[in-house]
Amino acid sequence: MRLFESTNINFLGKRRIFYLVSLSIIVIGLITLFIKGIPRGIDFLGGTELQIRFEKEVDVHTIRSFMDNAGYSGMEIKTMGSDKDLLLRTPIQKEGTKVSEEIQEALKKSLPDNPFQVLRIDKVGPKIGKELTQNALMAVILSLIGILIYLAFRFQFIYAVGAVVALFHDVLITISAVAIFHALIPGLGLELNSTMLAAFLTLIGFSVNDTVIIFDRIRENIKLYKNEDIENVMNKSVNATLSRTVITSGTVFLTIIVLLLFGGEVLRSFSFTFAVGIITGTYSSVFVASAIVVDWKHHLLKKGKVN
Amino acid sequence: MALYYLYPTYRDYQLSKELSTLHGEDSANFVEKNYEKIKSARDGRIKLGLDLKGGMYVVLEVDVIKLLEDISKKKDDQLLQKILNDLRGLSDSTRGNVLDAFKAKLAENNLTLKNYYGELTDDESTIERKLNDAIDNAVDRAIGVIRNRVDRYGVAEPQIQKVGGNRIIVELPGVSNPQDVVKLLEGTALLTFHLLKEGEQEIRILKDIDKALAKLQDTSFFASNLQQTTDTTLKDKTTKTDTSKIVSKDKKDSKEKTKKDTSKISKTTKKDTNLANKTDTSNLTDTTTAQDTTQGPTPFTSLFDPELSYRYGGLVASETNIKKIEAILKKDEIKAVIPNDVIFAWSYKEIPDKGEKYKIMYILKKEPELTGSVITDARYTIDQQNNRPYVSMEMNSEGTADWARITGANINKRCAIVLDGVVYSAPVIKTKITGGNSMIEGMPSLEEAKLLAIVLQSGALPAPMRRIEERTIGPSLGEDSIRTGILSSIIALFMVALFMIVYYQFGGSVADLALLINVLFVMGIMAVFKATLTLPGIAGLILTLGMAVDTNVLIFERIREEMRTGKPLKTAIEIGYKKAFSAIIDSHLTSVITGIVLYIYGSGPIKGFAVTLLAGIGSNLFTAIVITHFIFDIMLEKGKKVSFG
Repeated sequence: MRLFESTNINFLGKRRIFYLVSLSIIVIGLITLFIKGIPRGIDFLGGTELQIRFEKEVDVHTIRSFMDNAGYSGMEIKTMGSDKDLLLRTPIQKEGTKVSEEIQEALKKSLPDNPFQVLRIDKVGPKIGKELTQNALMAVILSLIGILIYLAFRFQFIYAVGAVVALFHDVLITISAVAIFHALIPGLGLELNSTMLAAFLTLIGFSVNDTVIIFDRIRENIKLYKNEDIENVMNKSVNATLSRTVITSGTVFLTIIVLLLFGGEVLRSFSFTFAVGIITGTYSSVFVASAIVVDWKHHLLKKGKVN
Repeated sequence: MALYYLYPTYRDYQLSKELSTLHGEDSANFVEKNYEKIKSARDGRIKLGLDLKGGMYVVLEVDVIKLLEDISKKKDDQLLQKILNDLRGLSDSTRGNVLDAFKAKLAENNLTLKNYYGELTDDESTIERKLNDAIDNAVDRAIGVIRNRVDRYGVAEPQIQKVGGNRIIVELPGVSNPQDVVKLLEGTALLTFHLLKEGEQEIRILKDIDKALAKLQDTSFFASNLQQTTDTTLKDKTTKTDTSKIVSKDKKDSKEKTKKDTSKISKTTKKDTNLANKTDTSNLTDTTTAQDTTQGPTPFTSLFDPELSYRYGGLVASETNIKKIEAILKKDEIKAVIPNDVIFAWSYKEIPDKGEKYKIMYILKKEPELTGSVITDARYTIDQQNNRPYVSMEMNSEGTADWARITGANINKRCAIVLDGVVYSAPVIKTKITGGNSMIEGMPSLEEAKLLAIVLQSGALPAPMRRIEERTIGPSLGEDSIRTGILSSIIALFMVALFMIVYYQFGGSVADLALLINVLFVMGIMAVFKATLTLPGIAGLILTLGMAVDTNVLIFERIREEMRTGKPLKTAIEIGYKKAFSAIIDSHLTSVITGIVLYIYGSGPIKGFAVTLLAGIGSNLFTAIVITHFIFDIMLEKGKKVSFG
């Protein structure tokens, strides 16, 4: 069986259109982000979060009124999976485990004939969130710098720039997608937590992997077709690697879809983010990373400097 | 090799399954019988993270600002208070950051560290070093206290680590009652001094327990030769003295010479008795066997190791026997014969011998003579004269008066230093100590002296600690997530494997084999490095498998390309591997960069992800480039048909 054998599609000729597509997605996404925002998980906000399994089904509204009476008004309460599983979250900070103890006490009093089991308690101090954000930014920036240096060393500097711009593009597109999807379907339960952070970092790894493989072929083909225009060489390279790109991205995408469907609540943020990341990571290798290199080389040609 | 390292994981799983089918007494017996097996399997298996197994994760922070206040020369200075209050608003309360901000604030007010800390002769950098030492010390002390308590609570495989200079991460797998544990972690350490029950009293207690236990058990079960050795243990022990002793520091200088002499004398006498005992063993055993008829069996005392008990001058028992002894002491029939004013406590120190760890049991007076709150300072130093480490301890006026009375009345008796119910040292009181300054000597190493000083200080000043993060995962949630995580991974893997075979035929099945080897390798690497498998770790594993598929696809597509140009299969394979190599290396190395950064900057779960990712990249490079290539070569050599669809 063979897919995409000997294709000859002029990918890079259409790069201007795709610049526009990417840009508009990012703009719409960022506007949504600023208006609607992405809910930040407890990892970033701080506070206490409880996951509780009741023996019988419970009603979120009655629980909310109980919590209001117990002095925890405005608490976030939602079901998880079934009506027996509840997630309660409050940004209120008190000494030690007091918040979770008080919540459990209030639930016990309000629902004496519906015993429950505590599945999970997370208490995060207010300082952790800031630190987590700092560390995450640090991790992303350092990985980008590391990749930039490595690629500049293995290819040419402009290739490294193209790859890193593509990575920025992927992160922005994915954030936009998360913001848009959250605005459209709030029930997905997407939130910015440390798992989603892991997804972003994985996405960077995947995207750069894809870009490097196309670049590798370009590096090889430039030696073979010395007199041809860089755009043609690049198109040849993208076409030559097309079947591997589709197969790899396809299988990984498949894996992530399985995780998204069956991986449960815990993995949802991760799998959703990564699924979007695979699409944009694959796309950006051609239409951002390679396209930038082409435009830069053309720019140099016009200026009369041949590289 | 991977299988070899994974075997313990499998074995542990099997043993736990067997264990879970048994109940009550049976399970206790099973654990006893298979203790060695269970232990070795436990040590070598892959640990499951808290998210998969359930348990508790707590981050504690030692309050550097409070500590700066506590150790300042001028605690009540208004300006210092104001500066410290400003510092409390800092978002990042890790130690380096707080110290830097503190120095900056001082500089703003034209002050230096010297205004509040250190001696007149110290320069700034010395003071800063001293402050850092003080913080280190506070954190170490807190860790020591926590470790001790967690150990006593009986949590399996607790992990306690220091991060960021003033934070302590405590991971307690399988703990389901967080409130209890929190109290355990946060309560102030309780340091007490107890006199030992020695000589006749001790022997009587042990004999009473023996008698009561013998009544409980089938007497014929215990062979008589056991009795002999244990009785010698008792005899030996009573003639021996502990090497550590406690003396007044005030009198140290004036009595220097005499003290040295006494120590020498006590040593030689010890050797003499040693010798006497050795030569007289035959006599001794004779007399003890004679006594046996009246004494009856000794099922309890026989649990202590006679040889080590003699050598260390205490009741020494192995790890396995400690469990038995504790179980015995909990029995109502045994409790009935133990005097009310007595408690049992184990030594903190572990004595490794004969492939096991041993501890010393102490029989103490229940009522403490003193509590640690009277201690104002404790330090460890090396004695200039004899180059031996010792610990000096100072007390407040109230403590000094009591201490003088206690030491005066109990010269040549032993006094145990007990922290949270564990004995850290049990020195012999040598003189009446009136000045409040005591000296404890006889520690075999500087390390032990340091530990004892830390223990004594924990009575002096509880480290101000705060919980800044806390996560509890119920065991059922852990089960849920492990089930969904593993199930979905298997489904995904199966689908990918099927696709590879359909698309690349023989090549695809070789790639699938490589995938399988990869999974085993990653798990094997994790077992070797004793890494913990978490849910993000499973996600990392899946990503790794994605990369493994990618690598194979890359190679196979290259081979197909070469075949299309009309090259024979063997050459196509050779060239395909060669040409794909640079792409594989570059893509893997960039992933290594992200992996390493994640490992360094990621906390908890993200670190787990980075570990599996890095392990996966390594094993993938190996399987894709070496193993599959090797398989193709072998198949071609044997003339088998190799196809890539």
